Amino acid sequence: MNYSPLIPELIVVLTGLIVVFFGLFLPLRVKKGLGCISALALIASIVYILKSGVLSTSERAGIYFYEAYAIDSLSQFFKLVFLAVSLIVVIASIKRYENNKYQDEYYGLLLFATFGMMIVASSNDLVTLFIGFELASMSTYVLAGFDKTNPKSLEAAMKYFIIGSVSSAIMLFGLSLLYGVTGTTNIEGISAYIAVNGILDAAGIAILVFLIAGFAFKMALVPFHMWAPDTYEGAPTMISAMLAAGSKKMGFVAAFKVFIVALIALRLDLQSVFFILAIITMTYGNVVAISQKSIKRMLAYSSVAQAGYIAMAFVIMTPLAMGAGMLYILSHAFMKSGAFIAVGAVTHMMWTRNKNVENADYLKNFAGLSQRAPYTALAMLIFVFALAGIPPTAGFVSKFFLFSSAIQAGYIALVVVAILNSAVSLYYYARIVKYMYVLPPAGETLKEPRAYLLAMLVAIIAIFAIGIYPAPFLDWAMNAAATIGM
Amino acid sequence: MSLPLISLMIVIPLIGAIIAFISKTRNQARYAAIIASIIPLLITVKMYFQLDPSKMWVVESYDWIPLAGIKYAVGVDGISMPLILLANIVIPLTILFAFGETKQASKFYGLLLLEQVGVLGVFSSLDFFMFYIFWEVTLIPMYFLISIWGGPRKNYAAIKFFIYTHVASLVMLLGIFSLYFTALAKTGVPSFDIAYLIGMYSGFDPAIKDIIFFALLFGFLVKMPAVPFHTWLPDAHVEAPTAGSVVLAALLLKMGGYGLFRVMLPMLPNTTNTSMIITVIAIIAVVSIVYGAFLALAQKDLKKMVAYSSISHMGYVTLGFVSLVPLSVTGAMYQQFSHGLITCILFMSCGIIQHGAHTRIINDLGGLVKKMPKLTFLMLGGFLASLGLPGMSGFIAEFTILAGAVTTLYVYVLIAVFGGIAVTAAYHLWAIQRAMFGVFNEKLGDVHDMARYEMISMAILLLLVIYFGIKPDLVWDVMHAGANMVLAGANI
Repeated sequence: MNYSPLIPELIVVLTGLIVVFFGLFLPLRVKKGLGCISALALIASIVYILKSGVLSTSERAGIYFYEAYAIDSLSQFFKLVFLAVSLIVVIASIKRYENNKYQDEYYGLLLFATFGMMIVASSNDLVTLFIGFELASMSTYVLAGFDKTNPKSLEAAMKYFIIGSVSSAIMLFGLSLLYGVTGTTNIEGISAYIAVNGILDAAGIAILVFLIAGFAFKMALVPFHMWAPDTYEGAPTMISAMLAAGSKKMGFVAAFKVFIVALIALRLDLQSVFFILAIITMTYGNVVAISQKSIKRMLAYSSVAQAGYIAMAFVIMTPLAMGAGMLYILSHAFMKSGAFIAVGAVTHMMWTRNKNVENADYLKNFAGLSQRAPYTALAMLIFVFALAGIPPTAGFVSKFFLFSSAIQAGYIALVVVAILNSAVSLYYYARIVKYMYVLPPAGETLKEPRAYLLAMLVAIIAIFAIGIYPAPFLDWAMNAAATIGM
Repeated sequence: MSLPLISLMIVIPLIGAIIAFISKTRNQARYAAIIASIIPLLITVKMYFQLDPSKMWVVESYDWIPLAGIKYAVGVDGISMPLILLANIVIPLTILFAFGETKQASKFYGLLLLEQVGVLGVFSSLDFFMFYIFWEVTLIPMYFLISIWGGPRKNYAAIKFFIYTHVASLVMLLGIFSLYFTALAKTGVPSFDIAYLIGMYSGFDPAIKDIIFFALLFGFLVKMPAVPFHTWLPDAHVEAPTAGSVVLAALLLKMGGYGLFRVMLPMLPNTTNTSMIITVIAIIAVVSIVYGAFLALAQKDLKKMVAYSSISHMGYVTLGFVSLVPLSVTGAMYQQFSHGLITCILFMSCGIIQHGAHTRIINDLGGLVKKMPKLTFLMLGGFLASLGLPGMSGFIAEFTILAGAVTTLYVYVLIAVFGGIAVTAAYHLWAIQRAMFGVFNEKLGDVHDMARYEMISMAILLLLVIYFGIKPDLVWDVMHAGANMVLAGANI
């Protein structure tokens, strides 16, 4: 059997172990190198996935470990998302934590979280899926509380941990019901069993309720989003980027696998549930985002709203919608991680000037940023316009295909709601721009850290690449959609 | 091998904008801007003489997103060529006019050049995807122009402009999607090609036809703007800096009109209930003409008056479009071109008065002719052209629109003539009489006349207005061929 498609996972997990192990002995001044090693490992994995060519075919490239672990374009597509987000986060973290003596644990946990997400993306079995889910969750629980001296960070971690654990329990209960009904944990086996024997309405509904509650927690769909704003605001900004751009997508890939592949027999129920969830989520997220003072919190609500757009794919359920949803997931990963990194850069610059600045992430600190930190301001401008869906960025292309797929399937009402939401969102995104470019500076010029700029540059390049030449990315996304039977 | 002229024309201002953004000194920025905006004009002139206006001159076409049938395709014909010419005349003259800008000058010129990129892109796109991208791209520089260099209520005006027109564009996008997917379902061939999709429209199911038509129409009418979707315009105009108002009125509004000719005109005869739709559009047109004129009459602020006059004048474009007579359709296109030139003079005058006298309230002005003789001369020329004095370009446009439309829309022409024209003359003359003539208001203090570059810019515009008023055929013939081509294609 050919095990070479598993190389990206091996690189990530081995690097994680190496980083943790050597972190025990290395002195603080060279620990920065561990971050560089992590970044290199992530780049190597990304390059491997791109070169392997799995993305450009809808055939399955391999299945391992008694059909529990599958490599296909869906899994590789999502791995690309997770690896790219981790890469952006690691690059920026090299500067953020250069003087932190626990930084080895930080990089290790980050790599393990990424590994967990990669497992979820490839899992073909409910148990594998759950293990990956928990590995990623556990690592991110710790990371959310990594700024140990900051009470907000601790509160964020605690909240995330408690609600996350309860959600995991609920999800596990749903999975166990599914196993009880069908007698197998293999995702394709479940689908085959239901196709032959059918499923009782009551059992089907119970399973859906538990699983939707479990997955929607990670996806942060309203009303399972309560943890998200608090956690994103309190957690270290890098980790907020990771949660919003990466970990959230893990919920989506799990949902793709379980709902679209295993439970496709229940598609009518799924469509009506997600129809309501999508509309509530996008509307609530956008409306609440308007009144936020903290940009991190505003981005958190905007991220909730964006999850609402992506959830439209589960309503429409056509090949184009699935492909567009995945393209949106890829674009959102870059837009949102970039935006959080930009906020992180601003708070970092504030803190280097004055250790005791409170509420460094508040909108008022962004006043006149275009003169205080021109590159960061320009990057943030690109990120918010991309999030608002203004061409020629990735955000526009994704919305273009997603909304067009809804029209194609005849969901006019859904599109109208989504479009009105886009208009509402423009208001608070434009407000950030107004603060940065129109208002007078709130202080003197800041020195922009280069690591942050590099991380933002990576995100910007990706955003424009997808926005200006979307053909290959759309192609990958459509292949990924084809592998889940669309 | 021939040069990709149209792409060059779009890319050069973009490069100029980047140079302007990164330039350190104001001089560097403004000279880069003026050079980068004049080169497209030279390219346009070269293309003008190669053009056969009666058919689409496709210069470049490449696959862009083959999966969805999206192409990068640009071309020009009799409909778009005069507007491209207009854009390439107006932007360099606007930059020249704003040569004295000192506040963040490099960004200012860069944004004006970006505006040129967007507008040229809209006028030359042959693919709906591209068309929409450029259509949206024009919003962003204008948002910044208003919100950084604008007047006291700039934040409100900028965000209102941005969101209002963005929503309208999204509605238009829905129309484009429906067009695309209905055609896709019929033939199985994905394509966003504008001409192809419009050709498919006549064979559609009647139920979907009206939805598509009105969605697209809404997008264009908001941009024009037509009453009752005009409320974003006065705010945006009043708060925008002079150069911003000029570009907004002379070019961005023309995108709406261009959409009418390019997209709506071939579709209109194929709608399910054509006579009803014509009635609706004609009413909107006439209400815009008459109501816009009365609103202008009532304004205290000179710039607001000019803004409302734009609504009234753009109403003629809608009226000419909906009459479906070659003479009026050509006249409507001519009105777009002519209004684009005239409105520049009007907004520039407002800007100079604001700058020199520190107020634009008509009643607080008075007798400015003594202090500003040069401005008064050029402004009077502009005002007379705007009210439709024979011998100026506005007269030819409005005369041909009304003369042609009489045959099909008799009643509406009657209302427009009796309700609109007298009032139009009245508000122009009354305003200039109160503001520029009469006794000088001593409270205004020391008032300077215009700077030389401002004068050159306005004088060129006025000469063009007079030239095109006496000898319209340079532009008229091209438009006429374009109009005949569209009307013949639509079997009218």
